[in-house]
Amino acid sequence: MAEHKLAELFEFGKRAVKFALGRGAEEAEAFLSVSSDTSIDIERGQIVRSIKRMDQGLGVRAVYRKAVGFSYTNTLTDKNIEEAAARAFRAARASKPDKNWVKFPSPGKFGETRGTYDKKIVDLSSDELVDVAAVMLGAVEAYDKRVLAVDGGVGASLFSTVIVNSQGIEACDMGTAVACSMETIARDGADVTPACYEVNAERVYDIDPEGVGTEAARQAVSSLNAKKIGSGAFPVIFAQDAFHSLLYYTLINAVKADYVQRERSALKDKIGEKVASDLVTVYNDGLLEGGLLTRKFDAEGVPCQKTLVIDKGVLRNFLYDSYTANKAGTESTGNASRTGLASYASTPALEASNFRFMEGDRSPEELVGEVDEGLLVFGVQGAHSSNPESGEFSVVATPVWKIEGGSVAYAVRGVMLAGVVFDVLRNVSALGSNVRKLGQLVAPWIRVEDVRAVGRL
Amino acid sequence: MRDMLAKSVDYGRSLGAKYVEVRAQNLFKTLLMTKDGTVEGAKEGTESGAGVRVLVNGAWGFVSLGKLEPKLLTDAVDQAVRLARAASLRVKSPVKLADVKAVEDRVTAKPEKSPRDVSMEKKIDDALAMDKTVLGYDKRIKSCTISYLDVTGTNYFVNSDGACIQQDKLYVWSRILASARENSVYTSAREEIGSTAGYEVFDTETPEKVGTLIAKRVVEQLKAKTPKGGSFPAVIGPNVVGVFIHEAMGHLAEADLTLSGSILYDKLGKQIASDAVTVYDDGTVEGAFGSFKYDDEGVRTKKTPLIEKGTLTGLMHNRETAQKLNMEPTGNARAEDFRVEPIIRMRNTYLAPGDRSFEELIEDVDFGYYLKSFRGGQANLDGTFQVGIQEAYEIVKGRLGASVRSASISGNTLETLRRVDAVGRDFELWPGRCGKGQIAFICDGGPHIRVGEVTVGGGA
Repeated sequence: MAEHKLAELFEFGKRAVKFALGRGAEEAEAFLSVSSDTSIDIERGQIVRSIKRMDQGLGVRAVYRKAVGFSYTNTLTDKNIEEAAARAFRAARASKPDKNWVKFPSPGKFGETRGTYDKKIVDLSSDELVDVAAVMLGAVEAYDKRVLAVDGGVGASLFSTVIVNSQGIEACDMGTAVACSMETIARDGADVTPACYEVNAERVYDIDPEGVGTEAARQAVSSLNAKKIGSGAFPVIFAQDAFHSLLYYTLINAVKADYVQRERSALKDKIGEKVASDLVTVYNDGLLEGGLLTRKFDAEGVPCQKTLVIDKGVLRNFLYDSYTANKAGTESTGNASRTGLASYASTPALEASNFRFMEGDRSPEELVGEVDEGLLVFGVQGAHSSNPESGEFSVVATPVWKIEGGSVAYAVRGVMLAGVVFDVLRNVSALGSNVRKLGQLVAPWIRVEDVRAVGRL
Repeated sequence: MRDMLAKSVDYGRSLGAKYVEVRAQNLFKTLLMTKDGTVEGAKEGTESGAGVRVLVNGAWGFVSLGKLEPKLLTDAVDQAVRLARAASLRVKSPVKLADVKAVEDRVTAKPEKSPRDVSMEKKIDDALAMDKTVLGYDKRIKSCTISYLDVTGTNYFVNSDGACIQQDKLYVWSRILASARENSVYTSAREEIGSTAGYEVFDTETPEKVGTLIAKRVVEQLKAKTPKGGSFPAVIGPNVVGVFIHEAMGHLAEADLTLSGSILYDKLGKQIASDAVTVYDDGTVEGAFGSFKYDDEGVRTKKTPLIEKGTLTGLMHNRETAQKLNMEPTGNARAEDFRVEPIIRMRNTYLAPGDRSFEELIEDVDFGYYLKSFRGGQANLDGTFQVGIQEAYEIVKGRLGASVRSASISGNTLETLRRVDAVGRDFELWPGRCGKGQIAFICDGGPHIRVGEVTVGGGA
């Protein structure tokens, strides 16, 4: 991958801001992003595809009489940039004033980010990535003949952002990431397991493709000969993937100031109150070393920071972007984010970054060993149908194993887990020491007492 | 444009590629979001670019670029060929493509009201009118979030088989989310509107109709009870039937997933559902959100039977899976945009209507649930599915009873399809968006149906 030319992007950004202001905008902001990706796809047991993608563009926000307009383009020429700035201004004029609008953020002091860029990733060739994919695939094949590598791949990316606004922010950041993932099933006669999944994503070139292949295969084989169980309330150990799905649509929304201010959060008015077990301490750490979402600044140019969300079970802070912070008369926590296929094409929205559940001292074996009868859940299906306001969820656990007498006994099929996420937090009884990064979540395995399981016999 | 694309296709062939395709797009998007009467952002954007896909020695190379310039396009072809060669060194079973007739065509969108001709002011006013209807319905409704998107533009497709297609793209979409609170009970409801016809969709999907529907639903849930967990008979409405057919059955019949070991793997030609069940994936429904004329491999769309009277008769294919299974391509290869390669996606997927009235469906149920409207769903390759339900009612002794909130149903796809014991004569098609790494615009639906038993979870 070629290094990105940030100086040129700065010039485009400044031009866009200047042009929008010249047209009559009271404030203007330009956000530019460039991404280069190389990836290798595995499908049905073989490497089938190699991909390269380069995407860059600019998004302009213009403010006129408290109304915000936005426009973007992926063609970076002087003419298109001026057109985008003019369109953003026209969109602001066409829009309605927002009485809560105050202003774009001003420059702040950036904290230090570590382990977010690795030249080795930039220099990876697609041939090298093919070799990495082959190692992962080889590990699956070597584990057990009944396992099929359904889908997987290896990808490396380099991404840069530049932000310029009329309050004086001029900042840039550059980062790298690399990931390998594998989805497997096992088939033995008529017995087909659910899909099992393992992933390893890092910001520096330190991934374990062989480990990913082996673990994905192990899960699939261990999911064979699944049994059905009856209903009941059990201790449940959630692995990271399952817990991430559960929190993403419930707790993570409930601590966003946007949800709180609009009465969409059951945690409204609960600052200082006990909302979780004493064992639960949660940070949103935008500066976490090597964090998958670690950045110097957020999507509005506000410094990223470490925010204490839950301290030993007590709710301490919500997450803010500059808009919700202005509305509440407080400071942004640096949680504005631009998502989608192309970040320059979207406006900032409030989002958690590295949502960090602090670890405990139990090994995975100890967590399981202390359970007489319970479930070990690696994934849940249908978490996106949770009720975002109340935190109620009703999901299918898959893959999932029954724990009996302190050890993992057998795979289980078709168990639903239902409850309210806030009860889950109150019933956390032990935390593992095995921390992993997965999407927004950084967490260990988590054991929760008394989770309602609806089985089918 | 056509010459530039044809030249790069020829260039790819000269480098030894067995197959070359170039897809180029010029897109124009308008986006809006309103929150509780406030316009959060009025947004417009332009995108153009191309995706180059080549097949060399049985492996794919794909390169996307965000600029349409002849020199960059040739470089991209060069790169794609090199990428494919590198991947091909490890290929065990080379990719081949089913033959299709190469088409030359030009498809023009003919909307009554092109979204390009509707001003931003009008779009904002329409969104705010919807917002006002929802929030004005009841003071317990605390929030209303409306998203609006329209996409217009042109797709160009040229491949080394001689296909050359220029096809207009037109999508209009909106999603309305409402939440309500009374004491410590929080509820939410959502609905989507989507069309490939034009902005005229809002002439029928008005604030009075859609806004009132959502407002009623979110308020009704405040007094609803949570369901009993366990297995019950259920009457399922078109909206939930649609998402069940899409998630639990449709994905497993996408041939890439079928070949990956979905439970339909060895079921072609076999009875997998009750005789009452017939299912289509249909790209030809005029104006529907999942309709188009040619897919992103240049294959003409069609009405594809998946299940006929209980027997699995078809799968959804791209050219690669059709060749592998020796079947006809069905025109299901779709790419979200030029940045990504086409993959097998659904179009408008539905269960065909039968002959029963709604009363006939519920009258024999002693205790069960009427599942009217969904909130999300998902399925696994092994056929374990889950569908979240935002609006449901108890059925007690053949009659509708109390409303039920935050339910969800689960089961095994094949067991559930076999338990469909009656199919209604009504029919509705609902727009939605489906995620499979990329987003695709789709519809799903069907009539009311009755299922002997599903697992109902949910509630606390």
